[in-house]
Amino acid sequence: MATRLQYENNCEVGVFSKLTNAYCLVAIGGSENFYSTFEAELADVIPVVKTSIAGTRIIGRLCAGNKKGLLLPHNTTDQELQHLRNSLPDSVVVQRIEERLSALGNCISCNDHVALTHPDLDKETEELIADVLGVEVFRQTVAGNIIVGSYCTFSNIGGLVHPHTSIEDLDELSTLLQVPLVAGTVNRGSDVIAAGLTVNDWTAFCGSDTTATELSVIESVFKLREAKPSALVDEMRKSLIDTYV
Amino acid sequence: MFFTFFLQFMMPIRVLQPYRMPRKPKKNNRLVTFSPFGRSIAMATRSWRATKEVEKPERQNKDLATSSLNGFKDNIKDKIQQSDSSDDEEFEGDVQADFVFFDPKPDDFHGVKLLLQTYLDNLQWDLSGFVDLILGQPTVGTVVKIENDEDDGVYSVVSALNLGRYKASSCFLFCDSKCVLELKDFLLKVCQDMYVLGKLKSLVGEHVQHVGLLVSQRVVNLPPQLLPPLYDGLFEEVEWATEDEPTKELQSSFRFRFYLIISKIYKHKNADQNRGTLKNGEESVIYNRPEDEIFFEVPSGMFSVLLLSYQCANLTSIKCFCSLAHGHSVFAYMHSRLLLMRQLKNYRPMGLVMAVEACKISSFREQLHLLIDE
Repeated sequence: MATRLQYENNCEVGVFSKLTNAYCLVAIGGSENFYSTFEAELADVIPVVKTSIAGTRIIGRLCAGNKKGLLLPHNTTDQELQHLRNSLPDSVVVQRIEERLSALGNCISCNDHVALTHPDLDKETEELIADVLGVEVFRQTVAGNIIVGSYCTFSNIGGLVHPHTSIEDLDELSTLLQVPLVAGTVNRGSDVIAAGLTVNDWTAFCGSDTTATELSVIESVFKLREAKPSALVDEMRKSLIDTYV
Repeated sequence: MFFTFFLQFMMPIRVLQPYRMPRKPKKNNRLVTFSPFGRSIAMATRSWRATKEVEKPERQNKDLATSSLNGFKDNIKDKIQQSDSSDDEEFEGDVQADFVFFDPKPDDFHGVKLLLQTYLDNLQWDLSGFVDLILGQPTVGTVVKIENDEDDGVYSVVSALNLGRYKASSCFLFCDSKCVLELKDFLLKVCQDMYVLGKLKSLVGEHVQHVGLLVSQRVVNLPPQLLPPLYDGLFEEVEWATEDEPTKELQSSFRFRFYLIISKIYKHKNADQNRGTLKNGEESVIYNRPEDEIFFEVPSGMFSVLLLSYQCANLTSIKCFCSLAHGHSVFAYMHSRLLLMRQLKNYRPMGLVMAVEACKISSFREQLHLLIDE
């Protein structure tokens, strides 16, 4: 299910939070409402960690991660790094990397298997991404924009990209990522997808300006509506043998 | 009839510009800001040739546009020559921006919402609903953009909303829509002087049909030459709306007797202590916007102003205190945003709520012209 929320009257929830399958990072300084909405959805399943990065609240755009690891920019303070290492599960490798393009969330978009990166990222950084996050890395652009981390967001199940992405690009990206993709908007026509939306395999959070149409597109491409046990059976029905005659 | 305060402030009138344009020599003209919006702002601040076109095709009979346009252009040309001669060695070339006035449209949602983010300090309220109200009223209200701007950025918005008009569609007729309700609650909450509270209650309660909320927000560096035509345009549109709206109900909803203005000021920290401790040259109140000062100041003799400024120490609590100065009540509130400007270190940011009688608007317009056109 997709949840609509705001951070201090601001609908760009993907800027102030980072959601993966293994953990969720939330920016400090917001009202308790913001934090408690995440807790309500995720508390029993994955840890929800309040943090800042480089002393700022725009953590969603500065870090990149998936269930295997988390990459932090070079200006993350030692205390923040330690706090994150302590709060996240041991299976998650937390690594601070030296990269000129420090807004890693804007430069890297990833799920648990594949990552799309900014074309100008260093070679060492690319290798680190492949190492720490355990993904295959592709340098790509989305609808002519090089900051791929802002204009597309995808989970292991589906993805949403910039509304002006052409059909050919959509097909190409879909082949690379091996997930269905759809071109759409969030937050009432905003094309900065990753700023308005943060998603993992079973839930999504988007800004409260998101219209019902946009929400239904999000729920259908990320298959959030069908997160019930019966859905699994329905999909596998053809390969299940119910009775032997 | 309601408010008869006689204002005796002896403040020297000085319009302070909180922003000073940078006068550093630049090697090239490339703008080093990251967002398209930031680039547009940087471009706009470096331009001194701001011309204005009014794009309202249905107002053919408007003489104001042409007359003020000519006056406006001449004014600007003088200014350009002046600034060019002094800036020749520093600026390699001026970036020019043509500002255009439009009716509010639903497409302007994001730009207008950005401008109104701090309208009620940092209250979490239905800002999107409020922006929808402004954009749903194309007949009264103006949005300022730059001509041929690919980013379609909104630089200023003005509008006048009748607070008694917007009812929640799902509920009975006497139930306000959510954003109006939250706005009224906020105003009543930040006012703790019983005397002023009573008047404020009547303004947002039984007499709300005659009250227009004057919404006026703009980017900090918008050239002040745009203000007189902007406000003139708004008040003219209100007048025309009283005749041109399709239903009698709508027509009468624009017959405002009061305008309510929510704005920001900076108050000297020592201002409340009997003004004896102010150093020379420091004023007790600095206005962020020149028109607020005019609204506050007496054109001549008496006018009714409900003055309420509110102090907010943190997100969840609102501390208010009341000080009586020169026969009217003043409440102070502090913004939760911090000030970084050194010259304002002795000042506290405050919010300000004013109610101005509609009959005084013509003198306000004259004063604004005098102030800006000098």
